[in-house]
Amino acid sequence: MNLGRGRSPLSYVGRRGPLQAASPGAAVAYLGSLIAVGFLFPSPLVVLAAAGALTIAGLLAGAKAAMRASLRMSIGLVVLIALVNALLVDRGETVLARLGEWPWFGHVDVTLEALAAGLGIGLRATVTILAFGVYSACVDPDRVLRALRPLAARSALSATLVSRLVPVAAADAARLRDAARLRGPGAAEVGRAALARRLLAGSLDRSVDVAATLELRGYGLAAPRVREDRRRSRYDRRFHLLAAALVAAAVLGRVLGLGEFQTYPSVRAGWDAGTIALATAVLLTGLGPLRRRPRRRAARRRRPGRSAPAPIGAARV
Amino acid sequence: MSELATRGTAVPALAVEDLTYRYPQASADALRGVSLELGAGEFALLAGRSASGKSTLLRAACGLVPHFHGGEIDGSVRVAGRDALQAGPGELAAVVGYVAQDPETQVVSTTVAAEIGLPLELRGTAPGERARAVEEVALALAIPHLLSRTVDTLSGGELQRVALAAALVTRPRLVLLDEPTSQLDPVAGDELIWLLRRLNEEWGVAVLLAEHRLERCLAAVDRVVAMERGAVSFDGDPGDFLNWAKDADPALETPAARLFSLAGIEPLPVGVRAARGTLEGLGGGEPGAGRPAHSHFGGDGGGRPSGPPARNAQNVRRASGPRLPAALTVKGLWVELEREEELYDVLRGVDLEVRAGERVALMGRNGAGKSTLLRTAAGLVEAAAGKLEVPGGVALLTQNPGDYLVRERVGDELPGDEGLAVLRGVGLEHAVDADPRDLSGGERQRLALAIALAGRTEGEGLPALVALDEPTRGMDRARKEDLVDLIAELAGRGAGVVVATHDVEFAAAFAERVVLLGEGEPIADGPAAEVLSGGWYFATEVARVLDLPGVIAPEQGAEILRERAEGAGEER
Repeated sequence: MNLGRGRSPLSYVGRRGPLQAASPGAAVAYLGSLIAVGFLFPSPLVVLAAAGALTIAGLLAGAKAAMRASLRMSIGLVVLIALVNALLVDRGETVLARLGEWPWFGHVDVTLEALAAGLGIGLRATVTILAFGVYSACVDPDRVLRALRPLAARSALSATLVSRLVPVAAADAARLRDAARLRGPGAAEVGRAALARRLLAGSLDRSVDVAATLELRGYGLAAPRVREDRRRSRYDRRFHLLAAALVAAAVLGRVLGLGEFQTYPSVRAGWDAGTIALATAVLLTGLGPLRRRPRRRAARRRRPGRSAPAPIGAARV
Repeated sequence: MSELATRGTAVPALAVEDLTYRYPQASADALRGVSLELGAGEFALLAGRSASGKSTLLRAACGLVPHFHGGEIDGSVRVAGRDALQAGPGELAAVVGYVAQDPETQVVSTTVAAEIGLPLELRGTAPGERARAVEEVALALAIPHLLSRTVDTLSGGELQRVALAAALVTRPRLVLLDEPTSQLDPVAGDELIWLLRRLNEEWGVAVLLAEHRLERCLAAVDRVVAMERGAVSFDGDPGDFLNWAKDADPALETPAARLFSLAGIEPLPVGVRAARGTLEGLGGGEPGAGRPAHSHFGGDGGGRPSGPPARNAQNVRRASGPRLPAALTVKGLWVELEREEELYDVLRGVDLEVRAGERVALMGRNGAGKSTLLRTAAGLVEAAAGKLEVPGGVALLTQNPGDYLVRERVGDELPGDEGLAVLRGVGLEHAVDADPRDLSGGERQRLALAIALAGRTEGEGLPALVALDEPTRGMDRARKEDLVDLIAELAGRGAGVVVATHDVEFAAAFAERVVLLGEGEPIADGPAAEVLSGGWYFATEVARVLDLPGVIAPEQGAEILRERAEGAGEER
């Protein structure tokens, strides 16, 4: 499959879905509460449920490519963190492999507990990556910047430049890679460093162009602050409620001691009914962006004896 | 002076007086004593070769020069009564809109609606008023369907309209456009020019438009300002401009004007309509008289030229000579790309063969699949189905030659004796120690081509296929002529040359065959003279004037007009 040239799968696409229609605040509260759940509970079951909820939310919001890219990135990261943790940490009772003396590392024993702890950290990173993926693909950056602008004009300017330059740089990088592939075998080879240097130089030129455009649009004007229209989306309440429910369930769960998971000295997980119920509830919050199909009203039957109104201009016989 | 006070008054939209400007660290002035006044509601064209100062003048009129670029400036610039040397570009943006050549770098928001509304938002316009202004400008530019789209999903033409909408949303007194049609196909380019004319007439906005393809816009403008080496060399109405260009700078002549001047007909026509009107007035019937009824693509009917230009002779030679080997063979090629997570077919069962030494123009509107076909031939894009063979290798030069230049010395891009040989092949052996960024646009293009060809040449040979994707963007006619020579040279050395282009006049100048793509499949394929005289948008200006099958070049048309004149004289 050929992807569209230079477009990031994480780019925002303006679809007509509840998550896209919600205000940035409501969307951030919803996604942020799922990240909070991921970090509040050590149990892999609950963290996996948060990751699952984010994946479902992303898919329901139509961000398939963003979810694919985020999951691909997460899997690599989980494996990396688990391996590094297993090599660096020698705590734990269940030794899986004795790898002997390694330069710099010293004596290396790979334990099940260190591996499990690494996987736990990786899963939390996955939740964050997935939440960022959904945010990036579904929350309109223009609305975020508009909300930010009256509060911090300079930060908003930097954010505007960055949010525009990232896709432009991605497109430039794709073009430069293509051009590098098209060089004849007799031309000097282009290494990654040369390509990165060229991309950086090009990005500086691009940023000057974008800055000029911003200047022309009137960014430098000290315009009077205007009260923005704070019309709420009809989906805001749904996402705020879900966020509140998630935070409340997480706090309650912690108070009740649900979702416990111990890695050292030996792995011990609490797979009790309460934890399973909590994980199920967290997973179900992923249905937040589900759009309810409008109910069709049954066609009203005409009462016998009454004729339909004649169209305007029609002659009555 | 307030905006309200100047609107509807006799205050000129732009008044430039004795303006001289030099960019920082430049060795020469970019503008030299420029004086120019543009009245309210005037539509003027800024003509001139590359580096003549057109873009710098536009940038001075919107305040980017000197406020953004720095440098030394002398003289005065007033925009709708405001002193542009005092006010910054942001402040001037209330009275002037600016649209640059590259639409990609002139959008700063994510969605179209936000992009168009940004100038108003930054001026503190209330949300309700802003929404209405965005809606109205979107309707005026026929882009309301784009408002909810993200800018990175738009085509070049759509992006250019969005940039224009963002420039117009504040209802400025003056709009400046720097080669806005350079990335557009003939259809979108014509639409944009006439849209500007409509806005100029209905909204009373003054327009100053810099363009290289003069034939595209001369008929729409009230006035032409020509520039040469930073100074104004002509300022007058389009008809006078053509008379001036004939003697002073023939590179600025339009094809229709050249047709008339070669045929000795006066006055020189400002556009197709004027030319046809003049020809009808001269007698001899309507243009196109004598053409066969089935004139669409082909036919050897009345009015067909007897000889010129040289490429026709070559066509005849090739048709009767030995069949040359195939440089590119495409059979039933399907290519699909992903856009907004949807797969769509860009190429739909394309069949095409290009022979060694053949010069082919690949044409079609934006999104027709031209670039995708070339990219597939070069191996950058995978085919979904079908067969594509390039038995002797391919060298592809993409739309931005600068992408090939990654080092700071020309010699480092192409090392060794072989590199020098390739540089010699494109006439750049003198520039071995130069920084690629210091080369002219044409030289950079030649260098990029040399990089694509390096190591693929055997002795004096070349890859079987050399492909160029939109190589004339932003080029003036002199540089295009150089490129025509280079293509002829490559073909002469045995390479099949395929050029994807929107530029009909350029295609007529270099190609012996034109393949027209529509919705991913060839809809016309034949000799250039036939294809480029068989339609309206993908036809040269001469073809549109004369409407005779096979007549696309001024020289051909002039010969026919002279013959007709002689015939009419004998009858009398």
